[in-house]
Amino acid sequence: MTRHTLVSRRDFGRVAAGGLAAGVLIVAGPRLALTEPKVGGTLKLAFDHDAGGFDPAKAVYGMSHAVIEQVYSGLTALDSEANPYPDLAETIDISEDGKVYTFHLRTGVTFHDGSPFSADDVKFTIDRLKNPATGYSYASQLANVTETTVVDPNTVQITLSEATGPFLVNLAFPGSMIVSKKLVESGHDINATPIGTGPYTFGSYQPGTVIKLARNPKYHESPKPYIEHLEYTIISDQTAITTALQSGVVNFSNVIPAKDWAAIEANPDLTKAAIEGGRWFWIMVNNQKPPLDNAKVRQAIAHAIDRQAIVDAVFYGLAKVIQGGVVPEWSWGHAPELKVLSPKADPEKAKALLAEAGFPNGLDLDFKIGTEWPALMAMGPIIQANLQAAGMNAKISTMGTTQYLDEVWAKRGYDISDMYWLSPLADPDDFTSLNYLCGSPMNAQGSCSKEMDALLNEARSAPTKEARADAYRRMQALSMEEMTLVPLVSALILHAHTNKLQGFKPMRTGFLKTLKEAWLEG
Amino acid sequence: MIQFIAARLAAYVPTLFGVSIVLFLAINVVPGSPAQASLGINATPEAIARFEREHGLDRPLHEQYVSWLARVLQGDFGSSFQAGVPVGPELMSRLFVTLELAIFAFLIANLIAVPLGCLAAYYHQRPADNAFILLATLMGALPNFWLATLLILLLTVTLHWLPPGGYVPFAEDPGRNLMLMVMPAISLGVVSSALLLRIMRTSMIEVFSSDYIRTAVAKGARRGVVIWRHALRNALIPYLTVGAVEFSLLFGGVVIIENIFLLPGVGQLALIGITQRDYPLLLASVLLIAVVVMTANLIVDVIGASLDPRRVRTAGGE
Repeated sequence: MTRHTLVSRRDFGRVAAGGLAAGVLIVAGPRLALTEPKVGGTLKLAFDHDAGGFDPAKAVYGMSHAVIEQVYSGLTALDSEANPYPDLAETIDISEDGKVYTFHLRTGVTFHDGSPFSADDVKFTIDRLKNPATGYSYASQLANVTETTVVDPNTVQITLSEATGPFLVNLAFPGSMIVSKKLVESGHDINATPIGTGPYTFGSYQPGTVIKLARNPKYHESPKPYIEHLEYTIISDQTAITTALQSGVVNFSNVIPAKDWAAIEANPDLTKAAIEGGRWFWIMVNNQKPPLDNAKVRQAIAHAIDRQAIVDAVFYGLAKVIQGGVVPEWSWGHAPELKVLSPKADPEKAKALLAEAGFPNGLDLDFKIGTEWPALMAMGPIIQANLQAAGMNAKISTMGTTQYLDEVWAKRGYDISDMYWLSPLADPDDFTSLNYLCGSPMNAQGSCSKEMDALLNEARSAPTKEARADAYRRMQALSMEEMTLVPLVSALILHAHTNKLQGFKPMRTGFLKTLKEAWLEG
Repeated sequence: MIQFIAARLAAYVPTLFGVSIVLFLAINVVPGSPAQASLGINATPEAIARFEREHGLDRPLHEQYVSWLARVLQGDFGSSFQAGVPVGPELMSRLFVTLELAIFAFLIANLIAVPLGCLAAYYHQRPADNAFILLATLMGALPNFWLATLLILLLTVTLHWLPPGGYVPFAEDPGRNLMLMVMPAISLGVVSSALLLRIMRTSMIEVFSSDYIRTAVAKGARRGVVIWRHALRNALIPYLTVGAVEFSLLFGGVVIIENIFLLPGVGQLALIGITQRDYPLLLASVLLIAVVVMTANLIVDVIGASLDPRRVRTAGGE
C-alpha cells in the first residue's frame, strides 16, 4: 500500500519555484533582463577552503562535497529551499508505515565513462556506505537502512527499521551520491578522479589552487546544465576573495566575509543575496568536566553572552541572534515561542545561576579557539569579556586546526570553545541530531541524555511533518534546560556573482546544485 | 673543477637524508594527526581507522619512514593523503612556477642592489650614500607580505592595473603571465635587495680603495669605466656568494607570497603539507627546495671559481 508518491522533478519544479520563503533577505543588484537559457561560458567560483578527495564515502570537507554534488547525482536532490525531489529516481513510492521506499529509476542515464547506470549501482553504493570497513563519516544518516534490494534493473527498494522523516533529505547529501559499482570494483580511484552521473564531469584538481569541471552533454536533464565550465578557485585568505571578486578574477562566491559585504553591495556589476541557511555558531562546553557537568553552570554561560554584540561586531549585522532552539526561523522545525536567551547579556542572571550551582565567587575556564576560522577568533574576546562580567574568568588559548582538532575534538582537553557549522541538509534533524545525540561525532561536548535521544528519535520517526515539528519543539525546549551547548547566532550566507549569471537560485544549504539551472549571458 | 662539482654533488645525499629524517620526526612530534586533520570534526573512529590503514599510518614510525624512503629511492614520491594526487608530477608542475617567481624576484633585487650599491660606494660618506643606506634599511625592514598587501591595494584595488592573483603558464600567455608575476616578484625582490645593496656597497668600497683603481683614476679613466669595467668584476665575487644565499632564501621563502597571490608553487604545496600533516607532500616539497638551494649554491661557487680559481682549491678541500 503506497502512502505517498514523490513525483518527478518536472512537476515538482512548479511547486519548488514558488520563490524564497519568509526569513530570507534578498539584496539584489541591477539584473540584466531575464533571457532564455543558453549553453556556454565559464563560471569562476571562489572558495576559502581546499578539497580533500572526491569519493562520496570518504570526503568530509565542504569543498569536496561542492565538487561531488556536481559530478554525481543521488536518488534525490535538494532544491533551493532544501526540499528533496527525485533525481536519479523518476518517482518514489513510500509504504504506509514509512518503512519501505521504492525508487523507480530514470532510464538511459550513463556515468561519465559511458557505462549505464542501474539499480545495481544504487545497491552497491548504499551497501558500501553501510559497511563499517568503509569508515563513512556520515553513516548515522543511513543507520535505519536494513536492506537494499534490486527489484529489477530500474527499480530499487530500501527498507528501514523504522519510519525516518529525513530519509529522502539524507539521500540528497553528497555522501549518498550514487557511485558506479563497476568502476569501484575495478579499482579505479574515485577519490582522485571521480566519475559520476552528475551535470559536470571532473576535469582536474591542483591542490590548494583550482578544481576544473566541464559540462556533461549527456546529463539526464539535458540541455541542462547550461554553463560550459566551472572553475573552483581556492583562495584561503577571505579578503583576497573580495578583491578577486571585485576585480573580476572570479565571478561567483558564497563565502564572502561579512566585513566586506558593504564594499560588495556597492559594486553595480555584481548581483547579491544574503540568505539565512543553517550556518550557526555555538559555544562548546565540556559536559564531562566538573563543574561544567552541572547544567546550571552551562546555563550561566548561556545567559552571560551578548549575542547582539556578536551579530554587530563580528557579522556587521549579517546574522541573527539565536534565542532558543537551534533550528532557524525559516525551517518548519523552528520553535518560535522558545525565547530563553535575551539578545543582550544578562550577567545578573548568570551570576545567580552560578551561585545556585555553588560558585558564588565565579570560576576559571580554559577557552580554546582554532585560528583558522576568522569569525570564531573575532568572537573570542567578546565571549571572554561577557563571561568576565558574569564572574567567569576565561583564559583564551589559540591553536592551528590540526592541533585544535586533536586537543579539543579528539581528546576533549578544554573547558569551552567556540565552533560553527553549515548544515548541508538544512533539515531539522540535521540541525540537531549531530550536535545533541549521544555519541555523535559532532557531539564533542561529550553530552549524553536519554531524554534528548528519545526526543530526537521521536522527531525523526514521527509519521507526519506536524508530529515531527512538535517533537522538535519539545526537543529544543529540553536543549535550553540541559544547555549541553550554548547556541549563539545564525550567520547569513553571503552570495555575490556577476550580473551575467542568470536564473541562479541560492540554496539554504550553501550548496550549488541549483547552478545546473543557471546560465551566463553575453 | 669536475672533482669539485662531484664532491659537492655527493654531499647532496647525506644532506637530503638528514633533512628528510628531521622533517619526518618533526611532523610526527607536533600535536595533531593526519587522519584527524583530513577528516575534520565529523571524524568517526571507524573513519580514522580506515584512513590510517589506507595510508599506513597505523604502522610504527620507523616502518613508515623506511617504506617512504624505499619508494622515493625508486623515484615514487607517493600520493597526497587528501585526494591521492601523485606528488611527483604535481611537484614538477609547481617547480617552474616557483623557479620563475624566484628568478624574477632575484632579477628585481639585483636591478635595485647593483646600481644603487655601486653608487653608494662611489659617493661613500656623502649624503647620497647615507640616503641609499637609509633606503636599504627601510626595504630590509619591510615584511614581504605587508608589501604585497600594499601593492594589491594600490595596483589592483585602486588603480585596476594588475590582476590580484592567479597563474597562467608563460607558454600559454606570456603577457598575462608577466602581469601576474610582477607584484609577487616585487614583494619578494624589494625586500631581498636590501642585504644585496649593502654587500655591493661594502664590496665596492673595498675595491675602490685598492691600488689598481687609484691607478685607473690617476690615468684619467672616466667614472663609468672605473665603476663598471674595473671595480664591479672584482666586487662581484663576495656579492655572488651572498646572492646565492639570498636566492636560496627567496626560493624557500615564497610560501606566504605564493598564498597571497594564488600562485600554485612549491611553497604553497609545502604549506598544505604542514597544515594537513600530509607528509608525502611536505617531505617532497621540502626536499625539492633543498635541492634547488644546494644547486644554486653550487652554481654560484662554480661561477665564483671561474672568476677566482683559488676558490676551487679551498672549496674542493685540496
